[in-house]
Amino acid sequence: MAKLKYRMIPEGMLNGKLIPLNIVLIDYKDVKDCGLEPKAAFEAIAKTIDAPAGLNIIDLDAVTTTSDGIVVEGAIIRMAASDRGRINKDFGYLEMIPLNYTDEDIKREPHLKVWKDKYPKRTLYMGPDYRKKKIPVHNVVITGRAANNNSATEMMNIVTMEEILLPILGQLEIMKDGKVLLGNTGEIISVGIGMVVPEEYGRIVPKRQYMCGDTAHGSGEYAKTLKKHIPIICVEKPVLARYIIQALECGMVPGRTIGGSPAVLTVAKYLHKKIDFDNITKKAYEELASVGFTKEYLHKDFPLLTAEEIIKRADELIPGCEDYKIYDSKDIVKIKYAEC
Amino acid sequence: MKLLHTKLPEFIKKMQVAAAEKGKKPKEIKIMGLENLRSAKMQSLRTGRIEHAVGELAALDNVENLELIVIPRVPETMQTVIVKGMNKDGKCDKAVLEIVNILHPTEEAYLLDCDPENIDDRRPIIGNH
Repeated sequence: MAKLKYRMIPEGMLNGKLIPLNIVLIDYKDVKDCGLEPKAAFEAIAKTIDAPAGLNIIDLDAVTTTSDGIVVEGAIIRMAASDRGRINKDFGYLEMIPLNYTDEDIKREPHLKVWKDKYPKRTLYMGPDYRKKKIPVHNVVITGRAANNNSATEMMNIVTMEEILLPILGQLEIMKDGKVLLGNTGEIISVGIGMVVPEEYGRIVPKRQYMCGDTAHGSGEYAKTLKKHIPIICVEKPVLARYIIQALECGMVPGRTIGGSPAVLTVAKYLHKKIDFDNITKKAYEELASVGFTKEYLHKDFPLLTAEEIIKRADELIPGCEDYKIYDSKDIVKIKYAEC
Repeated sequence: MKLLHTKLPEFIKKMQVAAAEKGKKPKEIKIMGLENLRSAKMQSLRTGRIEHAVGELAALDNVENLELIVIPRVPETMQTVIVKGMNKDGKCDKAVLEIVNILHPTEEAYLLDCDPENIDDRRPIIGNH
């Protein structure tokens, strides 16, 4: 019988941080090699886990966007939540849709120019079709105690009420056996994840609800506390820097076509790229100022660095994540197999 | 019958009576999930079906006591929040209306100790009732 490979970060304490449920990441190639439909793959893997789990199928050949609109290589294409081997038949499984965007669509979501310029042959996925999903607000799947939210980038145990953030780039890096940060989300990322871009099928916020330059949080100085103490597994900063640099070099402008998150603004400042200060809203400035990104700081002269220098010094230059350590993903991930 | 609604206290009493009377001996039933409701009208047709289910389980010799748990069918609910500021006379001086979104565990969280083969799911598909 064939075996379906998957990567799992087990529930429990991991070097001082709580993993609130089993985190399962599956390569779409492995699913196809087993001749399975994604839903059947989730069911086969769920049967091997006698506890709550969040499960994602990742297509490394596709592309998606981060919450601040940075186009990245790889995408979550299916998500599920399971508990003791069961997947809720109504709410436990969700599909992201491939987006056949035209040039007209890209005028409305200009950050996707990076997709057309750099990855024209790759399929773009963001969130699910909000018209079809059964859960009304969030892009979430729930089975029993397990919730897999925000298009599979935030997982929770709803009974213990503990959660973990799993930004897309960290998941993709685990799939490539790369390095990840494990730490607390902290204030910078709490603010940064609010600086969203308008996306009709956004992974976090659909229907183009917020203009670029605005904040989806709108909670002033409290925004920095939103996820501050929650554990996070995210990408190593040089990888993040490389994608931000790519977007900036494709002509993206923080505050106008990509979100003005602290990480994006920092890289733009060191590269001496244009920032649309006038388009950043008062509410967004208030949140940025609460983590030190005041107007005064943002208008300061930064030394000009090359892309290579920024990538090399990314850990020192780019803020975000607290009390973290860098791990080889193979040291925190178990490779497991399910009968298929 | 289909269009009628049952009063909340009557709903609770019906379940207690079914648990007490349908088995060879009277059985206790613990009702959870309705604690926040001070008043409500419960769908009568479903009340009858639930009463029947309680009686059916109460009649099983292996069943010593029962639990009845009410949870939201859709596990994400948007709730209206009413914040009231009361004056010294106990009258509302000012109020604020807000919303809060709640994620709830689904039924599996309450059935971890039950073999899936022994779960008889009689619910209609979502949207039907």
